Amino acid sequence: MKLIIGGAYQGKREFAKAAFQLKEADIFTCTGEHIDFSAPCIDKIEAFTLACVRSGKDPLAIFQEHQPLWADSVLICQDIFCGVVPMEADLRQWRQVTGQLCQYLTKNAQQVSRIFCGLEQRLK
Amino acid sequence: MIVFITGGAKNGKSSFAQRLAVELSRGGNRYYIATMIPVDEEDRERIRRHIADRAGLGFQTVECGRDILTCLSQVDKSGSFLLDSATALLMNELFLPPDYSLNPEAGEKCARELVEFAQSVENIVVVSDYIYSDAAIYDEVTETYRRALAFIDQQLAAVSDVVLELSAGNIIVHKGDFQP
Repeated sequence: MKLIIGGAYQGKREFAKAAFQLKEADIFTCTGEHIDFSAPCIDKIEAFTLACVRSGKDPLAIFQEHQPLWADSVLICQDIFCGVVPMEADLRQWRQVTGQLCQYLTKNAQQVSRIFCGLEQRLK
Repeated sequence: MIVFITGGAKNGKSSFAQRLAVELSRGGNRYYIATMIPVDEEDRERIRRHIADRAGLGFQTVECGRDILTCLSQVDKSGSFLLDSATALLMNELFLPPDYSLNPEAGEKCARELVEFAQSVENIVVVSDYIYSDAAIYDEVTETYRRALAFIDQQLAAVSDVVLELSAGNIIVHKGDFQP
């Protein structure tokens, strides 16, 4: 699995398409709690984790459960970890579980890339 | 040479960018493109602090808060330029007088003009701000601003010889050969 992280609007998805020869049709874009784990690439994992927090589900457990399905995928998650601690409890929880998930994914990744202003910084 | 510098707030971007622009000039003309249009006393205080900060470094200040290409006619293009910052320029272009309503074309306009400006001069250091990694959900106007600045950053990074991120005064090289 390849993990791509980076701040909002940094060009993560474009990088994934160019680096791993992915087409738009290969990418599942999260908008809620549902993930198609069979997709070669899953984008906006942060939207999935936010939906999980709001419905009381554990996103890390869901990823662990489906591990064989994403073992060779490209996973994209926004870095949401550098701001002030959010005032809202659900956003604090969102930051927490997304951070735990990213650390778990990093451990299981062959490659981790941080995208910064459209440029790759190889972290692993 | 085009150098693009970004990073979080209060990491020393401006002072580092000043030193770098002086170094690049090798004694030639030095221009500080001042992009901030002050609206209150806090802004004016910040401008005074920045002027004091660069006193003695030999910069000629060129005030240009919008339509950045227009100031090219008043300068020696073979000089060294410091543009601080893309963030302030975008803010001015995004909210245009007289009614200061949101101009949706501002991001593309700024990116296009900044790239042309950077490619027209001998040396330039452009400073931006990295505002993309917090766990907040913003209103649409703020998201428009973030999206536009990120677009400018990427366009500038693509044409830059050197891209640097400053973190607590430390330099992270993202592109180019740069020895601090």
